[in-house]
Amino acid sequence: MEKETTHKFTIVYKKNTNVVCRFQISSHSIIHSEIHHQQKKLLERKTKNQFAMGYRNKSLVTKDQTISSSSNCESLSDAMLVFTMNIIGLPVDVHVKDGSVFSGIFYTASVDDRFGIVLKQARMTKKGIGHSNVGKEALIDTLVVQSKDLVQVIAKGVTLPGDGDNGKITGEDEEAVTPKVCCSENRSVDAEQVNQSRQAGDNNSKGKADDCRQKFEFHSEKNDEKIQSLDSGHEIITCLGQVKADKANDQGSERSTSPDSTSTHSTLSEDLSEASHNIPAKIIEKSAPRGADCTRNAKEFKLNPAAKIFSPSFVYPISAPSAVPTAANMVYMPNSSPAPNMVYMPNSSPPVHVATLQPEVGFNNFASRPSVPVKVSQYGNLTVGNAGSGSQFSQPIVGQLAHRTQPLQYAAHYTPVLSEPAYLQSNSPAVMAGRSTQLVYVQQVSHDLVHGVTAPFPTRPLLNHVQFPKHQGGAFSQAIPVVMPPSVITSAQQQTFAFQNHIPVLQPGFSPPRPISIPGSNGFYGTKFS
Amino acid sequence: MAMESGSSVNNNNPDEFAVGCFLSIRTTLGDEFEGQVVTFDRATNFLGLLEGSKHGPLRNIRILSADYIKDFTFLGQGHDPLPIDSHLDLHTLQSRELLAIRQAEAEAERIGVGVSSEAQIIFDALSKTLPVHWDKTVIVVMNEVRVSSPYHSECVIGGTPAANDRVKKVLEFERKRLQLRG
Repeated sequence: MEKETTHKFTIVYKKNTNVVCRFQISSHSIIHSEIHHQQKKLLERKTKNQFAMGYRNKSLVTKDQTISSSSNCESLSDAMLVFTMNIIGLPVDVHVKDGSVFSGIFYTASVDDRFGIVLKQARMTKKGIGHSNVGKEALIDTLVVQSKDLVQVIAKGVTLPGDGDNGKITGEDEEAVTPKVCCSENRSVDAEQVNQSRQAGDNNSKGKADDCRQKFEFHSEKNDEKIQSLDSGHEIITCLGQVKADKANDQGSERSTSPDSTSTHSTLSEDLSEASHNIPAKIIEKSAPRGADCTRNAKEFKLNPAAKIFSPSFVYPISAPSAVPTAANMVYMPNSSPAPNMVYMPNSSPPVHVATLQPEVGFNNFASRPSVPVKVSQYGNLTVGNAGSGSQFSQPIVGQLAHRTQPLQYAAHYTPVLSEPAYLQSNSPAVMAGRSTQLVYVQQVSHDLVHGVTAPFPTRPLLNHVQFPKHQGGAFSQAIPVVMPPSVITSAQQQTFAFQNHIPVLQPGFSPPRPISIPGSNGFYGTKFS
Repeated sequence: MAMESGSSVNNNNPDEFAVGCFLSIRTTLGDEFEGQVVTFDRATNFLGLLEGSKHGPLRNIRILSADYIKDFTFLGQGHDPLPIDSHLDLHTLQSRELLAIRQAEAEAERIGVGVSSEAQIIFDALSKTLPVHWDKTVIVVMNEVRVSSPYHSECVIGGTPAANDRVKKVLEFERKRLQLRG
């Protein structure tokens, strides 16, 4: 094989010496022209055909495979196309045959006639030996380099989709996830619009904060409306939520600029959870349509670019349980990572994270909520064990928050679940019992959870959430802080259906905050419980 | 075209050729580099190469016309670096492109056309403290004060007295700093 390869190259090389000579004779032509919309469209069309469906094994697995591949057979190969697509929008250096080098943004490639490329905002960085119609000093809005002039294109500092964890996504998930990605991208664009002069990296945090705030306000207004229509009695709570939401946003806009401040996040999450918490809770109590939740989640996601994680599964489990399994796999990673390319998180690692995060979230909600006491009491009545833990929860929470770096989103997501006391009651007995034992045996806990899930109750997610706090309580075995985290993890993994639903939501919780939070919570609870 | 003749050598799976190979390549223009072959497109005779460390997240992508390969050395065989399930999101690409172009435009606006390098340095210095833009060779500060060549404090014209004074002050300060540095 290798030998053959070499052989081929040799042939190419020999032939090329002639080709090169011929090129040198021909006149140098670099055309400065307007955008080649046709070329652009052509590339996009081709890509849409192929990549929207996924690119596998250098050939398309979709039904259109034969069509697309046959129609494009004389143009660029699929692999080359993917490869080329990877550098769209990146700064590149283009070497042309007279030795000139142009730097610009790779705009598109013309693949129907060999391999021409189009650069945006190009500038000649090195003057070649030939005479060209492009001066060295001028900035060229759109530069078309034809195939015959093109020697090479170099893009530096590229992250390939296959590198690292973020690039991969399975074929089944991609359709569902893609729209979310769009959202995130739109958001970043918006941020950019707010302040065009900022650099991409810097403005992400700042711009997002602004963006987030606007949208969140909008969002809370919407919620307000909904609630009012549902029940006027809840208006007060809603208002409170709004106020807190604003506060949270203020903090967010101020602090989100410094990613290092972990404590900030914790306070944020607290406030936000309070704010958004009330609203969804009411909605659920009123048995509002689940669809509303879906839209709300989507909005929230947009609102909070920095902290939020989007989990499509959360929405689905409620409305359509059947969809859950697939949904659970899809995880969206917020933009925090510098490289815009990386959007997707593979599902493999998240389970562990989820487990650790969940307990915290649940606790948070309880503690932070002003209205919680009522619910807790309900809770308590149902199960004796619970009541005790419930009251304790609220106290510990404060301490936890300080340690925690949780993003805002968690709280928002959880809220609906927490707010449903009625469901808890019915389910709670079994759960409670499980809980007490859970402290020691993680596995048992998971079983209990499963039980709850299998139960016909429509509010499965609630059960899970409730249990999580319990887990923590159980987990509190403060004496062995180290032991705790593992147990939680195992439980998460074992948990079947119910957990998975939540997982997507939880996943957003990033791994970095976890290590801190767990030990903190453990120690905390340990003291409380002891 | 050249490749087509080459493909006759290995008809059974032309796509497999060279993918994953690590090559050290010299071009006819004198470039020399090492890279891994990601793909080769016979129709266009372009070679897709990946450079950089295997484990580092950032790589260099090079798309090279095989016509300009002067010489190459086979260094070793590796795996196909392109993931099997490769997925590109068009929206991501589009927004990235949009961002990049906007940024480039914004940066391009900061560069004066037909001005001396000293003028550009002064502009850059002023831009750190005040909003400035070019109006041909004139630096416009805060949309009201104009600083024309040779960009001394006497050249500061227009604007409210307070703004004018402020610009003068900053200009003098920046010039002083530049002199110290230079």
